[in-house]
Amino acid sequence: MALMEVSNLKKSFGELEVLKQITFDIEKNDVVAVIGPSGSGKSTMLRSLIHLEEVNGGSIRVDGDFLVQDNTYAKPQDIKKITAKMGMVFQHFNLFPHLTVLRNLEIAPSLLKTESPDAISRRCQDILQKVGLSDKANSYPANLSGGQKQRVAIARALMMNPQILLFDEPTSALDPELTGEVLKVMKDLAEEHMTMIVVTHEMGFAREVANKVVFMDGGEIIEANNPEAFFTNPQNERTKAFLQKNIK
Amino acid sequence: MVDYWNTMILPMLEGAKMTVLLFIIAILISIPLGFLLTLAAKSRVKPLSWFAHTYIYVMRGTPLLLQLLVICFGLPMMPVIGEYLVLDRFTAACLGFILNYAAYFAEIFRGGLLAIDKGQYEAAQVLGLSKWQTTTRIIMPQMFRVALPALSNESVTLIKDTALLYAVAVPELLHFAQTAVNRDFTIVPYFIAAAIYLVMTLLLTVLFKWLERRFKFE
Ligand SMILES: Nc1ncnc2c1ncn2[C@@H]1O[C@H](COP(=O)(O)OP(=O)(O)OP(=O)(O)O)[C@@H](O)[C@H]1O
Ligand SMILES: [Mg+2]
Repeated sequence: MALMEVSNLKKSFGELEVLKQITFDIEKNDVVAVIGPSGSGKSTMLRSLIHLEEVNGGSIRVDGDFLVQDNTYAKPQDIKKITAKMGMVFQHFNLFPHLTVLRNLEIAPSLLKTESPDAISRRCQDILQKVGLSDKANSYPANLSGGQKQRVAIARALMMNPQILLFDEPTSALDPELTGEVLKVMKDLAEEHMTMIVVTHEMGFAREVANKVVFMDGGEIIEANNPEAFFTNPQNERTKAFLQKNIK
Repeated sequence: MVDYWNTMILPMLEGAKMTVLLFIIAILISIPLGFLLTLAAKSRVKPLSWFAHTYIYVMRGTPLLLQLLVICFGLPMMPVIGEYLVLDRFTAACLGFILNYAAYFAEIFRGGLLAIDKGQYEAAQVLGLSKWQTTTRIIMPQMFRVALPALSNESVTLIKDTALLYAVAVPELLHFAQTAVNRDFTIVPYFIAAAIYLVMTLLLTVLFKWLERRFKFE
């Protein structure tokens, strides 16, 4: 069984049909890059997976449990349990500005008592080290660069031990010279076999790090393939047009 | 000189004590009450939100002096229940200030809430925090930070508004100043009163500046 199974997902904002019959599977250890033009529904799709949006149809199954099955959502406690298996990293970081880096990392595990305080602070150190920010533990987000903020956001998501990490354009709000440090952290995670779904405009990342590339347009998945085939031999006309425009 | 101290300054300081007392009581109760009103106004329970909005509109839309007169003199005149509503003057005045200022603070907090990005709620949600944890740990500290300058302004206004106690015959600072002016035919007490108000607002401003620095998060 796949780690995540999404079938016939539908979502409208009023009259506007944003997702039409989205179906895909995510296997454990997959790194999936989702690409597509602006407004194609990439963010909406990603946000639906972690219940930041409610869909109007279809099913999402995570690690065997249905978040939503044929448009019927699980009970609130179950929704919490299922979404807890996922973490999310946002385009604009969404760090808590009134908390230090360390407190940003600790707050959720300590409030939810997922681990002992000792274990939490140990893991904080480990994870901060992993994203290269051990020296910033006591800084406030306001005093960090964009790249550092996004690395803190990734660290914060990792604190919850997610099985799947969702990224919505994690480098789009960054100055070009800062995207590298964030992509490096994501690449390290991929090498440690973290399962990830990454909405991105970084064709380089899609090509080198992802093992699957999904192209969305107009609320549909137009084409999905391994990066090699996807980039060298796209099948669909819309994919070809998109790639032509986005790869020089 | 000693005489001057005894007949003029001491009573005025006594009056200032009343002013400070009213200020402290009013601010300590109306700030939390204002926050509850903000939550009520935002509530999905329609009657609650409707009540909060109306309350805020009425309290901000009518003069505080009128509200004080109603509470001190109006309520006791109500048929049947009036006799149970005779409050001691100071208590009645406190009630008036609390009810009025809660509405202003509610508006300030509403502005503070509007300033918080929806990404903060989303980040809290995906981390698994409950509604309550999100409100108390994530939203309130940030709202408070945003609201601080406006809270500071409103508190200074409150200090000065305590002079309205004069109109409902609670012996506060201004009352003793006026008494001294009438008795001694000198306007010096006015200036002393002004100086005392200025000291109080200065202390308050310093306090809020300190709070603003503390809650800078940098
Ligand atoms: N909360 C909302 N209310 C109404 N319409 C929305 C809402 N969120 C998104 N939309 C619309 O849904 C469509 C898809 O939006 P979405 O953000 O999912 O696209 P996207 O592929 O992520 O685009 P981008 O690359 O610009 O981030 C757009 O037309 C957008 O205007
Ligand atoms: Mg998007």
